[in-house]
Amino acid sequence: MNPENYLVLSTVLFSLGAVGVLVRRNAIVVFMCVELMLNACNLAFVTFARMHGTLDGQVIAFFVMVVAAAEVVVGLAIVMTIFRTRRSASVDEANLLKY
Amino acid sequence: MGEVYLPILILLALGAAFAAFSVTAPLLIGPRKYNRALLDSYECGIDPTPQPVGGGRFPVKYYLTAMLFIVFDIEIVFLYPFAVAFDQLRLFGLIEMVLFIVTLLVVYGYVWRRGGLEWDY
Amino acid sequence: MSALLAADLAPFPVPSIEYSAISPLIAIFGAAVLGVLVEALLPRTARRPVQLVLTFGALAVAFGLVIWQRDTRATVLEGAVTIDGPTLFLQGTIIALAFVAALVMAERRVDVAGDDFAPRASALPGSDYERDLTRLGWLQTEVWPLLLFSIGGMVLFPASGDLLTMFIALEVLSLPLYLLTGMARRRRLLSQEASLKYFVLGAFSSALFLYGVALLYGFAGTVSLSGIAEALTDDAQQYGLVLGGTALVAIGLLFKIGASPFHQWTPDVYQGAPTSVTGFMAACTKVAAFGALLKVLFVALGGVRWDWAPMLWVIAVLTMVVGSIVAITQTDMKRMLAYSAVAQAGFVLVGVVAASPDGMAGTLVYLVAYGFASVGAFAVVTLVRDATGEATHLSQWAGLGKRSPLVAGVFALFLLAFAGIPLTSGFIGKFAVFTAGVASGAVALVVIAVVASAIAAFFYIRVILLMFFHDPAPDGPAVVVPSSMTTIAIAVTVAVTIVVGVIPQPLLALISDAGVFVR
Repeated sequence: MNPENYLVLSTVLFSLGAVGVLVRRNAIVVFMCVELMLNACNLAFVTFARMHGTLDGQVIAFFVMVVAAAEVVVGLAIVMTIFRTRRSASVDEANLLKY
Repeated sequence: MGEVYLPILILLALGAAFAAFSVTAPLLIGPRKYNRALLDSYECGIDPTPQPVGGGRFPVKYYLTAMLFIVFDIEIVFLYPFAVAFDQLRLFGLIEMVLFIVTLLVVYGYVWRRGGLEWDY
Repeated sequence: MSALLAADLAPFPVPSIEYSAISPLIAIFGAAVLGVLVEALLPRTARRPVQLVLTFGALAVAFGLVIWQRDTRATVLEGAVTIDGPTLFLQGTIIALAFVAALVMAERRVDVAGDDFAPRASALPGSDYERDLTRLGWLQTEVWPLLLFSIGGMVLFPASGDLLTMFIALEVLSLPLYLLTGMARRRRLLSQEASLKYFVLGAFSSALFLYGVALLYGFAGTVSLSGIAEALTDDAQQYGLVLGGTALVAIGLLFKIGASPFHQWTPDVYQGAPTSVTGFMAACTKVAAFGALLKVLFVALGGVRWDWAPMLWVIAVLTMVVGSIVAITQTDMKRMLAYSAVAQAGFVLVGVVAASPDGMAGTLVYLVAYGFASVGAFAVVTLVRDATGEATHLSQWAGLGKRSPLVAGVFALFLLAFAGIPLTSGFIGKFAVFTAGVASGAVALVVIAVVASAIAAFFYIRVILLMFFHDPAPDGPAVVVPSSMTTIAIAVTVAVTIVVGVIPQPLLALISDAGVFVR
């Protein structure tokens, strides 16, 4: 199978995630979309590693996984504190800061 | 020829022994308390059919525990590549890996001392 | 047996680690890990003094180690880190700025309830529990390890030799900042909201950065900066990958810099974060991110300069104009300083667009001048308070010069430095980047920059007039007398602002000695 198909898939996943971050309102869903973007990056890295015949891309994927986990923890902690304060996880209702 | 498979057999035996030990040791030394939650499927305290506690939401402590699990679990990805090359890395690899795990242990100590592992906190 | 399994793998050389070259990093991260241990093991009351000793000790040691390494020009850790003149200069600047900013964070006297941070970040804002903790004088001492981790990431950021290291450094510097942003003692809801916004947008931009790295990896087959530069000289077949990768990586970095149109988070986060953290972010993050941007653009992507320079040209203009004009309409001091920070980022970008050794030197001068002035300005903001905390509304600052001429005078000095008035450090910075811009042929850009500076000077001068030529409101805020911590921080920033403005030669000589990035 042509590895370029995986690149197309990774682009599609990345775009889905990016659109999700921009249009979804629930902080948890926004979060999942960011994770989708990171995993799309991973797919691209692994595919390129296969195409170039180097291991670098696979190693990078490991690091990205760890970073993604750390990011989830920090993000969930922030969302949790906000949720406990406001009983809502909507990013729209966080609207005290304005121009 | 046959001795090539010997390590695999040893690994299998070790695995079986560990499983047997894990099952029998709690029977011998563990407390014998049985309640509904423990006897439930998965022993996780939630009814197998989706029935969130209090009508609609899961308690936040599930997220906390899940997050802690993910953080410590994901570090394993660095141990696998190390395990493949540890004999070529020799002492250097061992020292670096020990430093890595000590750093994780510090974090574990922090979580533990601050009550992050207590369910009823 | 093991030989049999390893036979099909290439021999695996033991990597070399040059500990001396990364010793500043080891000092900072080591102290940060120790700080976590302190949090775990020591009783609550003992934590703050130990954390302060660790933090300031580690920063002082790291600064000393940077000076000790001043002649190092090397690629170390198998190419993951490159140490050279500009990198060491940036590292030293970041550590020095962080030291001064940390002094402001350590202040306990200006707020009657304690320091600048919530007694417990997890306590429900306004709850009885939180009131009890405040009354008991609890402090969230985790801010110190978080601060150190963030500084460590910043020190690694411009030293990265490959894009993976740069990504890790980006995350290490960002994640603690997201948390620190949400920890303000006063106006908890605002602070938590700022934290969420910063996190969502920050995570989004770092994902964009990462996809850019993936594209560049796809093009070059390596993520090392020098490897990408080499691949650019070889072939131009997959030019699309280079352009896409360059754009995405640049967006990720420009977000951290706060350049328009990626500046939307800046005012909200600067306003919501504890003011001492805002000062730290405004100075150190910007220095680190500009360092990384310079490194990526000059070391890895120098071969496609004619593709990224026009893009940056547009962004520089947009950043200067949007920052300066929107700042005029602000009524909150912290938001005004945030938009001023956006405008300043635009001026620094003029030096980057110049794409010459002079431009880079100008960028470094500007970063030093801006960094110290901004730590000082936010430190002064922490001092003007009323019963509810900091008095950040502009109208509350009216007549401050009559009530407290010293504090108002110091603040006016920082504003003049931002405006680029001669005899302040800001003038030297602006002069350096603008001359470099003209020398490289970007005359139109410099003309726009000068016009934007004039607009920016308008709102800086307006605040000075407000402070000195208006009558103070009868129930206006008071200026709190801080402890020696903040006093030292303000004194240092004032000294740097004046000394660099009056006798800039030593700084300029230091920067020209630093030379250029090694490949």
